[in-house]
Amino acid sequence: MFLKKLKSIGNLLLVGLVSSPVLAHDPIFGQGPHVLFQEGVEIATEFHSSKKGRELENELGLEVNYGVTGDWAIGLELPYAIKAETGTVSSGLGDSAISTKYRFWRKDSKSLQESAAISLKIISATGDETKSPALGSGTTDNIVGLSYGYESRRWYRWASVRHRQNGTSSAGLKRGNRTLLDFVAGIRPTLTSYSEPDMVYLLELNGELGDRATLNGNTVTNSGGDEWFVSPGFMWTIKNFAIRGGVQLPLSSNLNGVQSKSDYRAKLSFEWHL
Amino acid sequence: MKKSILMSVLIVMAMLGTIQSGFAAETNYSMRVDGLACPFCAYGIEKKFKKMEGISNINIDLDKGVVSVDAKEGITLKEDNMKKLFNDSGFTFCSMKKTEK
Repeated sequence: MFLKKLKSIGNLLLVGLVSSPVLAHDPIFGQGPHVLFQEGVEIATEFHSSKKGRELENELGLEVNYGVTGDWAIGLELPYAIKAETGTVSSGLGDSAISTKYRFWRKDSKSLQESAAISLKIISATGDETKSPALGSGTTDNIVGLSYGYESRRWYRWASVRHRQNGTSSAGLKRGNRTLLDFVAGIRPTLTSYSEPDMVYLLELNGELGDRATLNGNTVTNSGGDEWFVSPGFMWTIKNFAIRGGVQLPLSSNLNGVQSKSDYRAKLSFEWHL
Repeated sequence: MKKSILMSVLIVMAMLGTIQSGFAAETNYSMRVDGLACPFCAYGIEKKFKKMEGISNINIDLDKGVVSVDAKEGITLKEDNMKKLFNDSGFTFCSMKKTEK
């Protein structure tokens, strides 16, 4: 009984890997200040896979974003999750989210744009947390973020900080809050014209600094800690269609107690601007 | 007599030519725009111009930071409207040059 409870806590702790909203020329795993043009609609499908010890998590998400103004976008994410752990598989709707991003600063010059944005994402408990492995966290979580971006014809660079505040489940489990740090560089090797296919290569450094979880006020020893990843990625676009992808590989890991380290995370998305 | 008929025909032809060219007249607007770095993000500009009636030949030169469009006769692009259009697309309008075609 105790072991079963411990296992279900472990499953719940795995839920809620931070996925950043798909938005145009933003980093793959980190976040940038990009928004959408006014009245623009973005539809994206995203495949996300991660492996950590014996746990494998695959998620297929549908995301819709809308440009309220040229500097303000709102979005909705509906993920379909398939999770597997030691031979047990569960699938269904994951935790859905609503998000918003406001670009509060923009400095434009010839063929160059620098900007900064704030963002908020609220993740609701629409995934079934009673399934094994759990499809949802059973809590409402929120992520606030601040991002900066530099985009020229040849070079890109971004930096962002996000903080994830997790809620407490009905069982009394509160997953540890997390701070996420991202530093990203990108290059466009060939300067293509507006109507030609365009490729940008990215290299990200992503840090995740996590607090310990608590269960009914007691600290869960084997939870929380810090992980750093190096993440090569790409963005291929033609006019209003984009394919973006990348792999997150662990660089260093300092997890509390006994926990499986992340093996990899991968992401692939298809995106249309309408 | 023959001379005056020939003159009349030439005058009518010249008038028709003027009227015809008047109908076909287009104006090219070449606009300097700042912030144009990536083609995917610039799509919003094309989309906004495509919504406007009488606008064709939308060209975006990312390296020069120039957006060029042709406007049918009777369609006039105003700087204030262009400032708003580009701002709503996420860019900064700088200046505009008008050339009759």
